[in-house]
Amino acid sequence: MTEPLMALERVCKWYPVGSERLTVLQDVSFAVYPGEFVSIMGPSGSGKSTLMHILGCLDQPSSGRYVLRGRPVDGLTGDELARVRNREIGFVFQNFHLLPRMTALRNVELPLVYAGVAREERRRRALARLEEVGLRDRISHLPNELSGGQKQRVAIARALVNKPAILLADEPTGALDTRTGREIMGIFTELHQRGVTIVVITHDPGVASFAQRILHMLDGRLVGEERGRGA
Amino acid sequence: MNFSEMIAASWSSLMANKLRSMLTMLGILIGVASIIAIVAIGQGGKAAVITAIESQGAEETIQILPREVVEPGLPQPGQVLKFTDQDFQLVQGFTGVASVSYSLYGQGVVVYRNHQVNASIQAGPAQLNDLAHFVVVDGRMFTDADVAAHRSVAVLSQSLAGKLFGSGIDPVGKVVRIAGHPLQVVGVAASTQFNLFASILGADYIYLPATTCHDFFPWWNITEMDVRIAPGTDKADLSQRLVTVLNIHAHNPNAFEDASGFLIGVERIVGTVTSILTLVIGAVAGIALVVGGVGVMNIMLVSVTERTQEIGIRMSLGATRRAILLQFLTESVMITVMGGSLGILLGVLASWIVHWTTPLPSVVSWQAVAVGFLFSVATGVICGIYPANKAARLDPIDALRYE
Ligand SMILES: Nc1ncnc2c1ncn2[C@@H]1O[C@H](COP(=O)(O)OP(=O)(O)OP(=O)(O)O)[C@@H](O)[C@H]1O
Ligand SMILES: [Mg+2]
Repeated sequence: MTEPLMALERVCKWYPVGSERLTVLQDVSFAVYPGEFVSIMGPSGSGKSTLMHILGCLDQPSSGRYVLRGRPVDGLTGDELARVRNREIGFVFQNFHLLPRMTALRNVELPLVYAGVAREERRRRALARLEEVGLRDRISHLPNELSGGQKQRVAIARALVNKPAILLADEPTGALDTRTGREIMGIFTELHQRGVTIVVITHDPGVASFAQRILHMLDGRLVGEERGRGA
Repeated sequence: MNFSEMIAASWSSLMANKLRSMLTMLGILIGVASIIAIVAIGQGGKAAVITAIESQGAEETIQILPREVVEPGLPQPGQVLKFTDQDFQLVQGFTGVASVSYSLYGQGVVVYRNHQVNASIQAGPAQLNDLAHFVVVDGRMFTDADVAAHRSVAVLSQSLAGKLFGSGIDPVGKVVRIAGHPLQVVGVAASTQFNLFASILGADYIYLPATTCHDFFPWWNITEMDVRIAPGTDKADLSQRLVTVLNIHAHNPNAFEDASGFLIGVERIVGTVTSILTLVIGAVAGIALVVGGVGVMNIMLVSVTERTQEIGIRMSLGATRRAILLQFLTESVMITVMGGSLGILLGVLASWIVHWTTPLPSVVSWQAVAVGFLFSVATGVICGIYPANKAARLDPIDALRYE
């Protein structure tokens, strides 16, 4: 079998609350293999976002190990982590997280700016991504001039612009109506078919079912796994 | 992210809060503008005073004055030494001395029919026009013969003539009075130099032969000896010998001095005053810059807090801490540099306005401009580094979750 792309080994995460420890993740272990489409489900507060932040190198486990492409993440410097977030991982958030004063195009260009790509090339690539998500005619709109579905498409274009191997999405359809949500999941399915490894967090079983594997979380633990219809 | 992109990004974020950015700039702007303007006016004034003083000395005349007049510090009335007739005879005997005269200064009311004008009286030798820097534009200057014969003749400054006679009357040939003494106007004089003090002292002068004036006002002390030197004489050497002899004669080694000593004294005062002024202004401008800098720091801290989530988003997209630090630092330096540049413009403008609308000439020095600019860059860096560092050290998750 191939090497896992992302592997969590007995990961715990806790926060100090007063003199107590609030444990948010408890001994979580699982692996995601290249090209997989995984979804994570669980009730609110079960630690899904926390898990995704660790997978995305935005946060560190309190104990246990996270190994990305065979490399333990805790050995990486701040700049290396920034580079991983820039090149290897794309994020999509529930509330889009677009920069409000930048046009759709400039938002999509942003990861390329931090990757040091020259202006012309940046524009060309950002336009291509926006075209793929069907927003060619909205490139100079500001986020507040876009609908929720359009904002999420811009966010997806931005997550993909640096051609990351991994796409992490935290409730990408949470702020959208069912039909728009399905459209976004359609885009994800297409990306999966092109070989992108995808982890989607959701409340919605319908959304989760797009994945190959569905992991269930409860109170900071992984409590079960089933196959989705994406398999 | 390269430099020009950083500039563009900072610009757009400053433009997003135009009014706030402008208000933040104000402190720096005022600080820098005041540095530029005050230094320009101060240096211009100093330069003008010095040229005005330096141009006083006529080439072939040595002016000797009592040291009390020359040295800084007010002479005590009554203690001021004056020249005696013997002093004049003594000096007359020197080789290299062509002629000796004296100058008298005072105030008096000049009367023509029912017009009365308070004027400055300057009396001296026939070369008074060189010593006092004027040319006769109408009529003639009084001559050596007029001086020798104690003739009652006078030359009026254009301003005084205008006030006494109005337009349409030729003053030359008319008779005016001072203290009841009639004087025939023989000429009208125009000043040949920019007179820094004209607006303060007035430009109404009446010039008389020294002898005539001495006849009218015998109680005026003779405190200036004007020695015309013969061609080919070493002026400095002669001056030194004259002063030495006069001092011996007065039984006082410090009795008299060449007027050039006076110039040095005044220059020294002007220099001291200017440096004190510069220091005071520097302190004021420094305080303005500090206050401005605190304002910049405050706004940058507000901006970091407001944009916490933006910082988190940028970090999630791959911004390094260094990139975040530079982003905020560029913004704060941009604020202060823009403030500083506008301050330079305003300061230069203010100096020009002073230059063209007042008799004070002002000289914008590139050093002041450079210092102003450097100060604004430094303020931006110093006051931006803490907020920028605060932004760069945010935890990505805390920043992303910030509401
Ligand atoms: N900085 C923190 N300090 C203390 N507790 C925290 C902190 N961040 C998160 N938590 C807690 O961790 C738990 C898990 O949060 P998380 O956001 O991962 O939940 P979630 O499964 O994504 O929920 P939701 O479906 O509502 O998004 C919550 O109980 C939350 O209160
Ligand atoms: Mg969540």
